[in-house]
Amino acid sequence: MRTWQFGAVLLGLLIALLLPANGGGFAAEPLADEKISIEPLPSKSPHWVYVVDEAFYNEIDARVRLFDGDSYRHLGQIDAGFSPGVIQSPDGGTTAVATTYFARGGHGERTDVVEFTDNATLAIAAEITLPPKRAMIEPTYFNLGYSADGRFLYVSYLTPAASFGVLDPAAKTVLGEIDTSGCVLVIPSGPNRVSSLCDNGRLLTVTLDAQGHEASRALSAALFDPDADPIFVQGVPSTNGYAFLSFLGQVHEVDFSGAAPAIQPPWSLVSDAERGHWRPGGTQVGAIHRRLGRLYVPMHRGAEGSHKQGGSEIWVFDLKTHQRLARWPMKPLKIDAVIAVQVSQDEAPLLFAASEQGSVEVFDALTGHLRHVDKNLGQTPWLFLNP
Amino acid sequence: MPAARRALRQTLFGLAAAAGLSAIALAGPAQDYVLNCMGCHGASAEGVPGKVPALARTLVQFMRLPAGRSYVLRVPGASNSMLSDAQLAEVLNWIAAHFGAAQLPASAPLFTAQEVAVQRRTPMVSVQATRSQVVKDLAAGGSAPDEHY
Amino acid sequence: MHPLDRLFEKSSRSLAQRTSRRSFVAVLGQVLTGTLLLPLLPIDRVNRAEAAAAAGAALPPPHQPSDDPQSCDYWKYCAIDGFLCSCCGGSAHSCPPGSSASVIAWIGTCHNPSDGRDYIVSYNDCCGKSSCGNCACNRNEREKPLYRLSRNNDFNWCAANNDSNYHCTVSVILGAAEQ
Repeated sequence: MRTWQFGAVLLGLLIALLLPANGGGFAAEPLADEKISIEPLPSKSPHWVYVVDEAFYNEIDARVRLFDGDSYRHLGQIDAGFSPGVIQSPDGGTTAVATTYFARGGHGERTDVVEFTDNATLAIAAEITLPPKRAMIEPTYFNLGYSADGRFLYVSYLTPAASFGVLDPAAKTVLGEIDTSGCVLVIPSGPNRVSSLCDNGRLLTVTLDAQGHEASRALSAALFDPDADPIFVQGVPSTNGYAFLSFLGQVHEVDFSGAAPAIQPPWSLVSDAERGHWRPGGTQVGAIHRRLGRLYVPMHRGAEGSHKQGGSEIWVFDLKTHQRLARWPMKPLKIDAVIAVQVSQDEAPLLFAASEQGSVEVFDALTGHLRHVDKNLGQTPWLFLNP
Repeated sequence: MPAARRALRQTLFGLAAAAGLSAIALAGPAQDYVLNCMGCHGASAEGVPGKVPALARTLVQFMRLPAGRSYVLRVPGASNSMLSDAQLAEVLNWIAAHFGAAQLPASAPLFTAQEVAVQRRTPMVSVQATRSQVVKDLAAGGSAPDEHY
Repeated sequence: MHPLDRLFEKSSRSLAQRTSRRSFVAVLGQVLTGTLLLPLLPIDRVNRAEAAAAAGAALPPPHQPSDDPQSCDYWKYCAIDGFLCSCCGGSAHSCPPGSSASVIAWIGTCHNPSDGRDYIVSYNDCCGKSSCGNCACNRNEREKPLYRLSRNNDFNWCAANNDSNYHCTVSVILGAAEQ
């Protein structure tokens, strides 16, 4: 074909494409009209995780983001006010957020409140106003907590005096307040029982009656030595209670399934040579896959005063044998220090990790293979909650 | 204690109170107060209304009754503090004298390490309830702190 | 004696021997311990941090004290957690205009390399305004968890104020520590 003929064919094609076939409108049917709707959540998956973002640079605007560890979609958000405590209800149907609002945003009259979000819709369903005594601390498992049967909700108070509120989440009322004589936080520790951590290294356990008032209390034997080797308050949920990690790498497991907390003999994450050099650290210092019996801990090399430093490695342990199964270095993956870890509880588990820079990583929890990095899950994602 | 010695002691404590805590190298009970108590109870031991009880002028009142002395030795801030029994006795005596020396009653003996050792480790169930009861008992026998702080 | 006091006592005693008077002896002490302060350029710290990072899981570099109150390495900030008020319109020991000082605080102890003394400092928060957002700094020398509230820097020390929003943190010298 000659060049001018080729050009003519092209021009013809171009005209044919631009001209409508019917000679008057556009080539195809117009797009259908839309109607605004509320996107429903997909079916719940064990690979979801609730990412609690303290938003420390904008601390009155903390939020919880629901993240899908398979699709990597951000599924939605729960607002969380100032310095919140966040916990899931025992049936998984509700996210309870204990938080504080100031009347003029950054200042003004303080209102403390527990807001209940329906996990099926991420809409706030109810609230209970609290006295303005809530513990304004970083998010832990123990800022607030449900009794196992969901009848009571406990909220940690710190004014600076230590106590906790007992709430009836069904009736939406505050039943009362229990003075804990300086012991802090609320660890649901059995039917109608709440334990708190004391400065003398013991657990205070308060037993409540059916109305949520104190029936009795007891101090445990020493769980840890707060002077020689303090424990992180961020306990790690285990099969029958919590494991508390210490600054020097001891694991203090407590079985809360019996009539009183049963303290297990401590075991060590580190060898004698490693102790004092390799240490756990961060905001959520461990995660346990309960059925597989595995403990994941972010570990760093450091000295006294480094207990909030994130891990340059994630160490994996067998809870039965106490053996270290793996060390996963983060540097080759271009991940800076890991300060929070969580593991999904299914048979193909994912390990979620948050870094000091605020990124969230998704690992295969069995192999340590890094699957995904998300840098937009929050300014300061400090706590992961399983659905 | 002879009246003249008591007066001298009170004058010295008064002067110490006037000198304040700043700009001096802290030592002994003054330093223990700063490190373990002052953060919440304040530089003048006035507390925070509604949140932290005052120690000024009120500690000496609690010292008049056995139940009051026991309460003071078992409040979490005292009993759980990192001070030894002897140090705790010393700092409480220092607080009683330093903040409100004018009311230091001759009848309220100073704390000793032995008394601290006996009382300190018995846990208190409810700090608020115990305090309220002690205040009522004190009021029945004379001057008492406010029930609400 | 409480282990903390033992640690403290040991350091104070040895310091006192070297620096009991503002004198030639004090200067000599600084020279002997190699802690004469030079202002650190930010670039120095960054390079050191990068070198350490490149070394993989090597020990972090020894802490390099600074005499810059807008630096996280300033000696008074040895257990501070939050935003430095000196970057927010205040100073190392004063709150920014329009904010209010926390009525409660926790009391810590920091070592000043330039005169060899340990100082007792009050970590007050400044309150009533939203997060300053500048100069975030978190150090935790001898800091303890929440059950030892008197040594804890996670708690919002603005909590007992009428306006308890957290703005920034200062470090106020209360006095030189003695054993």
